Amino acid sequence: MFDILKDLIYSSGAVSLTGGNLVMWLVSFVLLYLAIKKQYEPLLLLPIAFGILVVNLPLTFLMEPEHGLIWFFYHYGIEQDIIPPLIFLGLGAMIDFGPLIANPKTLLLGAGAQAGLYVTFFAAVLFGFDLQEAASIAIIGGADGPTTIYLTSKLAPHLLGATAVSAYAYMALVPIIQPPMMKLLTTDHERKIVMSKLRPVSKLQRICFPIITAMTIMLVVPPAAPLISMLMLGNLFKESGVVERLSKAASNELMNIVTIFLGLSVGATMTAGTFLSPKVLFIFFLGLFAFVVSTAAGLIMAKIMNLFLKDKINPLIGAAGVSAVPMAARCVHKVGSEANRRNYLLMHAMGPNVAGVIGTVVAAAILLKNLG
Amino acid sequence: METDWSKVFEVFGSGIVGVFLVMFLLQVLTQFSTRVIDVVENLGNGKGSAPGADTPAPATKD
Amino acid sequence: MPELLAPIAGNVWKILVAVGDKVELDDELIILEALKMETPIYSDDSGTVSEIRVKEGDSVQDGDVLVIID
Repeated sequence: MFDILKDLIYSSGAVSLTGGNLVMWLVSFVLLYLAIKKQYEPLLLLPIAFGILVVNLPLTFLMEPEHGLIWFFYHYGIEQDIIPPLIFLGLGAMIDFGPLIANPKTLLLGAGAQAGLYVTFFAAVLFGFDLQEAASIAIIGGADGPTTIYLTSKLAPHLLGATAVSAYAYMALVPIIQPPMMKLLTTDHERKIVMSKLRPVSKLQRICFPIITAMTIMLVVPPAAPLISMLMLGNLFKESGVVERLSKAASNELMNIVTIFLGLSVGATMTAGTFLSPKVLFIFFLGLFAFVVSTAAGLIMAKIMNLFLKDKINPLIGAAGVSAVPMAARCVHKVGSEANRRNYLLMHAMGPNVAGVIGTVVAAAILLKNLG
Repeated sequence: METDWSKVFEVFGSGIVGVFLVMFLLQVLTQFSTRVIDVVENLGNGKGSAPGADTPAPATKD
Repeated sequence: MPELLAPIAGNVWKILVAVGDKVELDDELIILEALKMETPIYSDDSGTVSEIRVKEGDSVQDGDVLVIID
């Protein structure tokens, strides 16, 4: 009898617990609290938090290669690059490229913000990260969860947990991160600029856009294919108007299902071993840096463009080039309406906001081409 | 671990230039196709009803 | 009869005035919801509200008439 008890104790995970595991439990509990009580991005944070918890319970072998339940999710979903493109499929079915088509110059604002990524890349290298790690950290500034996960899983999978959590955390914090930069880099006069109404966009134009974009980007930057093809297909579902069932499935059921696996898999990479290192603190710091610099880059790009434009754009919309959709656009609208009550920048800001999504994918693809 | 600085600069430079070039290309193609579609759609109604064209793209960085 | 037009597409969240109210320039008349964000719409004119063309919950497009002020 005593032997059976002894056996049970020794085979339990409890004896294999390390101090690190306990710390990760704490991390998990904090995140669960934030998700459930504070409702802070619960759709992602809850599965991530739970993933962290279960993977730090030893001897469960949930992440054991070829055997663990969660390992299978992770391997087929993330390592094999299925989940991020599927999220993009859903995203495309929800995105409205109208404001972008109405004002294609905003594509340059989407590009401008990505310049911030490369500055962060440089900074990360200075901090001592190797090139692949630096690229994965830099892409956080793209403010795009799936792209961050896609790139990091290919270039620096050991950093996946930290970069993904950073990306999602800072996206939620955009309303706090962006305004100071926006006020710093723009004059009161610039913020008051009212933008003229967006020209109407016809249905045919909305249908041609995803097709042209998919073809162009896949021809010029092939590594972008998995992400951009899905994004544009989803958008085509939406804009064609003839496949409402597919469009709805992509933006609802599919998104929800994939999000479950995504959160769980990402959380499950955060074992005490991989997560509890000073590198992670640097990543959180550099992630914030990335957001700040990308915001600045977008604002500066807008100001530069204004030098050449008769019909000035309000430079605030440059900040929306940081593709946290639609948080950054909302933030731009708020700051704009504080400067001038009659300014309704929301739709204008959506142009650079969605352009930024495309821009981040292109930036990731180029990084992959150079470093993959 | 030795940092290959030439590679760093290569990534940095080709990255920024690359993103701008691609996005600019996309902008041009979008403007072009949009204009073409405007014309095509208005052939039915008479050209006068075409919505205003965009202001021309600014001279961008090299 | 000056019309207050919707500057963006969205849903009518709250109507802050009633027919017959006196309003000043820049008064908040209606709050629209766009992309889950409250967007207050301010009056272009001073005068009396003669007609409110929408009700709470309506979906409006860019350029739709919201309120008419005399």
